[in-house]
Amino acid sequence: MSDVIKVEGLVKRYKELIALDHLDLKVKQGEIYGLLGPNGSGKTTAINCILSLLEYDKGTVTVFGKEMTPRSYDIKKDIGIVPQDLALYDSLTVYENIDFFCGLYIKDPVKRKQYVQEAIDFVAIGDFVKFKPKKLSGGLKRRLNIACGIAHKPKLIFFDEPMVAVDPQSRNKILEGIVELRNSGATVVYTSHYMEEVEQICDYVVILDKGNKIAEGTIDDLKNMIKKSEIITIEAAGVDEDTLESIREMKNIFSVNYENDLLIVEAGNGKHNVIDIINILQDKGYMMKKIFSEQPTLNDVFLELTGKNLRDE
Amino acid sequence: MFKYYLKKTLRNRGFLFWSLIFPLALMTFMKIAFGGLYDMQNSIDPMKAVIVDNGSGAFSENFISLMDQLSDKSGDNYYFDLTTYEDLDEAKASLEEKENEVLFEITDEDTINIYLMPGHSVTSSCVSKAVCDSYMRNYQFLMDAFTMDPEGARKILDNMADGISYTKEKENAFSSDPDSYSWYYYSTLVMGIFLSATSGVEIVSDLRADVSSEAMRLSVSSSNKSRMMINSFLARFIPSIVIVLIQLTVMHYAIGVSMGNEIGKLILFVISCIMFSLGFGVICGLLFKGSANTRGNKTTAVVMISVFLSGEMTSQLPGVFEKYFPIINDINPATLMNMAFYRFTVCGDDLGFYMNIGKITGLSVLFLLIGIFALRREKYASL
Ligand SMILES: Nc1ncnc2c1ncn2[C@@H]1O[C@H](COP(=O)(O)OP(=O)(O)O)[C@@H](O)[C@H]1O
Ligand SMILES: [Mg+2]
Repeated sequence: MSDVIKVEGLVKRYKELIALDHLDLKVKQGEIYGLLGPNGSGKTTAINCILSLLEYDKGTVTVFGKEMTPRSYDIKKDIGIVPQDLALYDSLTVYENIDFFCGLYIKDPVKRKQYVQEAIDFVAIGDFVKFKPKKLSGGLKRRLNIACGIAHKPKLIFFDEPMVAVDPQSRNKILEGIVELRNSGATVVYTSHYMEEVEQICDYVVILDKGNKIAEGTIDDLKNMIKKSEIITIEAAGVDEDTLESIREMKNIFSVNYENDLLIVEAGNGKHNVIDIINILQDKGYMMKKIFSEQPTLNDVFLELTGKNLRDE
Repeated sequence: MFKYYLKKTLRNRGFLFWSLIFPLALMTFMKIAFGGLYDMQNSIDPMKAVIVDNGSGAFSENFISLMDQLSDKSGDNYYFDLTTYEDLDEAKASLEEKENEVLFEITDEDTINIYLMPGHSVTSSCVSKAVCDSYMRNYQFLMDAFTMDPEGARKILDNMADGISYTKEKENAFSSDPDSYSWYYYSTLVMGIFLSATSGVEIVSDLRADVSSEAMRLSVSSSNKSRMMINSFLARFIPSIVIVLIQLTVMHYAIGVSMGNEIGKLILFVISCIMFSLGFGVICGLLFKGSANTRGNKTTAVVMISVFLSGEMTSQLPGVFEKYFPIINDINPATLMNMAFYRFTVCGDDLGFYMNIGKITGLSVLFLLIGIFALRREKYASL
């Protein structure tokens, strides 16, 4: 597969602050590429540099195999952007906004009409086409913001924190939409400081902190990087020491605790941990009431690498 | 895309208010305040008035001569049956006893106090206020005109030889008959035009990615920036022209302000002033910091200060500057525009008109060139 975006040694300084520190990125055709990092880690800066919107101090950026410059209109025509800050005209209606931004790319009015309608359907905002953005809820505004960025059917789409202030229902719709875009052949760069979204949809993830890439890989790769494990909790009465011992002897198990009828097992990464433990307990005829398994999250990865949480709360 | 820029302009309530409604409202207000005499001409019964003259010099002489004209039984403007009292208290007592309806006291500070009898009619208060207002305004105006432009002022004075020429409605606004109220209308028109500088700020926020996120979308698109710039400019320029035409029409037909008799100069004036205002707005939009809104508000403030200094509210100001800091009049855009209009409509001073228009046009070209250079930019050091 060819690289849609190739960034090498990208450095961006704001006076003393180094916003991007020799960043290398490679985005492959047809994947959802996640840029995960806390606020201020340089995600937006990276996108703006890739788009040649922001001057940078060092480094090279190629998009679709060609060097990206401010006047690379042949590259720009295939790029869509959903910016972090809502970019909508308050005095234009929903329809007019989409039509305006689509019109920056698509000049043919017949084709544009069709594209705008498809974008309206895509974000399911058809009931509101005559509304001004001010009258829309936060989630609908975000959806409109997305529609404006994708109406011209770009091959490469940047979503910069599209979920800020979005209600949970809209959130899932939007995420499904992004996967749909990928499935129809687009390459997606998705930034967020919410690990849940990134885990849900990204095929490949780069974790940024203070302008540095601190880890990258598929979600599983990243989770495998850390020792921190799956925590399995099973409620079962009267488990005897023999049984606990045989669980301890399973491979991939770090610790086993049993107190007040609660069995708490810390396991390393592995797909069958829960099933294996359940099998042992069933063989010995124990009744199990509740079973939980807590998988490690990207936050655990971030925590282990930086000693901080992704979000401050 | 021009269509949407135009829609944006036409749906911009702030712009419509400040450039269209506000100046028209102000003109209407002025028409009521000192144009009242036009309407009441010949339509009211004369009222009993008394003058107490504690003033001196030209101010009180002219006022008394004006009042004499207005109490001339054989004249067109017979509003008052006039008597003169020496003593203010005595005069006030005559109001209490309803011997007289209105009392004009000329003070030694060149002001006029009006006293009305208890239970006076609305008409009597309106007429007497209108008379004083128009006298005060004309008097100040004349004095200022002398300091600023003695030639032009003398022409006005000649036309005011009968002392009340300004109470006659213009039959043809494009006649060369000067109207001494014009200054206020002109400067209101100029204020409306100059306030379209906020549209210049909008052009900046349409196109600069570091000012608005909408412009960022434009910047990363494959659209031709120069064409968008032209669209954005025309979508501000054309509505401004239409708005000024509306105002000129109202001034001409409803208010009856003289606009000189040369359409060509009027058009030149309108176009160069709008270009200048937009260019000025573009420069303000580029120089000020903050959101697009903040930049617009700061620009409005600058424009209003300039308009104030040009004498929109107190026509004496430019005269004062002319005496002490002439440089202010030379660089204040609102004064330049006002004086351009005033020179060709009132004074017929061609050289002065072209000098002013030349300065305005030169500056607009400079501003717009800087604007084009700054707005074509697609890469920024900081966003
Ligand atoms: N215009 C600017 N001037 C100075 N510093 C900036 C500017 N824009 C961003 N920064 C700094 O650059 C760093 C990266 O910011 P950003 O890319 O917006 O982070 P993210 O998108 O990951 O939240 C932050 O520390 C931010 O404060
Ligand atoms: Mg960001």
